[in-house]
Amino acid sequence: MKQFLVSFILLGVVAAPVRAQEREMILPVPQSAYSQAVKIKGGTLVFLSGVGPADEKGVLAAPGDFPGQVRATWENMRRVLAKAGGSVDDIVTMTVYTTERRWGEIFTNMRKEVFKTGYPSSAFMEARKLKTPGALLEIQAIAVLKE
Amino acid sequence: MKTVMLVLVVFLLSHLETSYGQELKKEFVDPVPQESRSTAVKVKGGTMIFLAGHTASLPQVNVEHGNFEVQFKRVFDKIKTTLSQAGGTFDDIVTMSVFLTDLRYIPEFNKLSKEIFKKNFPAVTFVEVSHLARPQLIMEIQPIAVMP
Repeated sequence: MKQFLVSFILLGVVAAPVRAQEREMILPVPQSAYSQAVKIKGGTLVFLSGVGPADEKGVLAAPGDFPGQVRATWENMRRVLAKAGGSVDDIVTMTVYTTERRWGEIFTNMRKEVFKTGYPSSAFMEARKLKTPGALLEIQAIAVLKE
Repeated sequence: MKTVMLVLVVFLLSHLETSYGQELKKEFVDPVPQESRSTAVKVKGGTMIFLAGHTASLPQVNVEHGNFEVQFKRVFDKIKTTLSQAGGTFDDIVTMSVFLTDLRYIPEFNKLSKEIFKKNFPAVTFVEVSHLARPQLIMEIQPIAVMP
């Protein structure tokens, strides 16, 4: 009986970590606020449509003002992720499209304020045009919600 | 004694189920039916398929690639073939990056994609690029699918 109890407890200890979600940021680049890779197992994935600086009604925030549009984009990102039951900390990877690549440094500096628990992987590139007229950036993200 | 064994077996099975039972759960967050897309798609479990960017490119060079509608249909035909090789269908697409050489095609794109996605709209990101792999190409679509 005791033996079974012991194996019962042991089994619980051994089997439990399989269910827990592990997230590992590989080769973080803190000066640009991203990681070369993010390793993760388990959890619920959230694929987001491109998020830009326009609000729910499609009204563009901060026309011509890149930092203002970055702030608005992250606010919108927070809103969408909250609806999916998550937060920006759940983002594992993102593709950042901007209409002018010279804004890269401003973007990465501002990203340091967004992520508190490790940086997602990221790609940054210049697009000729984005969906919302006047938008200077758009972020396409994938998140994995914490269990 | 028997009861303990039984409990142990049930316990083991329940753990196996949660560890390996990859039953698919999908949720479409804030769908935008007029654009046949969702703001986000939430997925748990299932088998993922990461597709390459698909274009209307033909094996023969210098073949007429046609107008937007022709290219759209050819691209989705090829996506369908790729998905079916993997055992999937259009319904399994959860997100796609749509690269266009002119974003003024978006209304036409949405009109045509309504015929492909009747419900369960994927997340979509449109990006205008100056060039694709070949001069005649006006669109490239890179989807991710999750099958049961």
